[in-house]
Amino acid sequence: MNTIIQNILVGIAIFLALYFLVKKFFFKAKTSKKKCGGDDDCGCH
Amino acid sequence: MSKQINVALIGNPNTGKTSVFNALTGLNQKVGNYPGITVEKKEGVCKLPRGVKAHIIDLPGTYSLNASSLDENVVIELLLNKNDKDFPDLAVVVSDVENLKRNLLLYTQIKDLEIPTILVINMADRMAYKGISLDLEYLETHLKTKIALVSTRKNQGIDRLKTLISNYKDLSISHCINLSEIDPAYFENLQSTFPNQLIYKLWLVITQDVNFGKTDRNEIDAVANFKTKSKNDLKRLQQKETIKRYQFINDVLKKGQTIDVANAKDLRMTFDRIITHKIWGYAIFFVILLTIFQAIYDWSSVPMDFIDSAFASFSEWTKNQLPVGAFTSLLTEGIIPGLGGIVIFIPQIAFLFLFISVLEESGYMSRVVFLMDRIMRRFGLSGKSIVPLISGTACAIPAIMATRNIENWKERLITILVTPFITCSARLPVYLIIISLIIPEGRFIGLSYQALTLMFLYLLGFGTAVFSAYILNKILKIKSKTFFVVEMPNYKLPLLKNVVLTVLEKTKSFVFGAGKIILAISIVLWFLASFGPGKDFNNAEEITKKAYSNQNLTSEELQQKIASHKLEHSFIGITGRAIEPIIRPLGYDWKIGIAIVSSFAAREVFVGTLATIYSVGNDDEDTIKNRMAGEVNPILGGPLFNFASGISLLLFYAFAMQCMSTLAVVKRETNSWKWPVLQLTIMSAFAYVVALIAFQILK
Repeated sequence: MNTIIQNILVGIAIFLALYFLVKKFFFKAKTSKKKCGGDDDCGCH
Repeated sequence: MSKQINVALIGNPNTGKTSVFNALTGLNQKVGNYPGITVEKKEGVCKLPRGVKAHIIDLPGTYSLNASSLDENVVIELLLNKNDKDFPDLAVVVSDVENLKRNLLLYTQIKDLEIPTILVINMADRMAYKGISLDLEYLETHLKTKIALVSTRKNQGIDRLKTLISNYKDLSISHCINLSEIDPAYFENLQSTFPNQLIYKLWLVITQDVNFGKTDRNEIDAVANFKTKSKNDLKRLQQKETIKRYQFINDVLKKGQTIDVANAKDLRMTFDRIITHKIWGYAIFFVILLTIFQAIYDWSSVPMDFIDSAFASFSEWTKNQLPVGAFTSLLTEGIIPGLGGIVIFIPQIAFLFLFISVLEESGYMSRVVFLMDRIMRRFGLSGKSIVPLISGTACAIPAIMATRNIENWKERLITILVTPFITCSARLPVYLIIISLIIPEGRFIGLSYQALTLMFLYLLGFGTAVFSAYILNKILKIKSKTFFVVEMPNYKLPLLKNVVLTVLEKTKSFVFGAGKIILAISIVLWFLASFGPGKDFNNAEEITKKAYSNQNLTSEELQQKIASHKLEHSFIGITGRAIEPIIRPLGYDWKIGIAIVSSFAAREVFVGTLATIYSVGNDDEDTIKNRMAGEVNPILGGPLFNFASGISLLLFYAFAMQCMSTLAVVKRETNSWKWPVLQLTIMSAFAYVVALIAFQILK
């Protein structure tokens, strides 16, 4: 494995790691708002 | 071509539903969430005779189809929505032979939805102890179904159940009760308004406050608006319905079930008297805790040492096999040590969940909840808060979600705010590595100091949570109380299969949940520690050689000095030194500072981060523990991880809100940023002050 290939692999690894972290902590999938049952004020409405 | 049928496994809590699910699916199961909500969804595949496959969904435990929680909503929504891809072709209702009367209420409701239904009477092995005998033929005729008498413990009845599932088309879909008899005028009017709809489905749509997704929405809205009666009248009708169902059940059981009390041999009451005793109960619980923590230490030391040295050797072997270069360095100094920092804790995590699973399976955990209710009430919380608090020992996120069962908003809010104090499994790696560095290995009356320290930290977390609840209770002034009902399941020997599956599932989620974050952070950290701006980093070799030219350093010592200089002037070193003034009074250096900041993503990242930072530029094959033990305090001299800084770190992690995901969940559950921001500020400030005091006293 020559130096260039090693550097490319490192670049890909860093890009993927950053992409994963940013996606996980800053762009979370929105969840639908569901209400729970019953008449009590459970605070999740 | 093989055919697949959808089977919904439904039942009251504590009927052994999950054991039946495990018996049917074995390892062919997966755990996820229902879309958009956080109720756990367990699915599995069961192979049936004639090449038929059953897709089995283990629905959340529910007492009836009158929903009072999100878990119960899930059951109703699925059973009412024919367009749902998981809508069952068949319902398997699991009941407990000892609580048949109560369990049959749910059965009659599902039957009235005209879904083919099989009744499983579980825990059949208990019949002799309880003097119970059943006339199955009579029960099948009058309950209008087929019955499988099952003992998952003895693996009996599962084959019959599989046969019944594969022949589900032969099952009757006739009703158990005639709803119209409750209020003929109302129900006939309802039926004539919606002539093509099933009357019990209409009734549930009118009386239950549940979502049905996009499907059938307009149609269901039209039905839900059909409220010709007042709310109170509808409640009264619901009560009449329940009474009618119990009349039906009583009539069936009168002839179908015989209980010979004289022949019942049951020690349950005697056990309960001792285990829930106001003094002995707590003493027994304390001894059990001691045993668990001692065993965690004693049993896991050998596999942990093995994993630690295996990762060190693997890293060394990889370095020798691959050509020199950036990627090899990333693997051997970043990824492998980072992952080693999480894998090493698998034995202890597995043993912890093994014990928790055994306590739950045996029925003891419900007694603990009952015991704790007495304490909780004094601090302004009900026993309902205990369930989330105990769940918090695994992870605060599901625990905070579990507070949805607390109806009183203020009580729920307090539970949400104090739950992150409970020692979660993510804190465990931090505690274990620090304890192993600063607490001696000696024993006190057969109990190791290290195990006692770990137990103390668990009790400290619980004590702080309860004490914080007391203060919040005074501030927030809770006026109303909720009532707590806990079902005491029978004592039973834990099923090995259930215990093994629980341990596997929990350990897997610990490793893979945190593992991905740790892997990504290790890669980023390696980059930040291996590169840096300016001359200080790029000319590290020249600068170091010049600085030590008048000292007779060996080549190895010089290489270490160069690596150390590079690390200090790398991106991570610059960032670390910028935050160092804030954490220096606590006894930490900039490397620990970086570990604390990165562990905000997940607490267990702390160990992985240190493992990565200490590995960069280090050629020695060594374990994480040895590397941490060898670190020297740059200012005070001596070991960096000494008693004072170690205790300070333990206390910091015990109290600090070091979890981004928990904050996100608190925001979602309280629907406001106010509470998570307050929680983060107060917990972090408290952790900082306590850690500061501890270090300044002990140093």
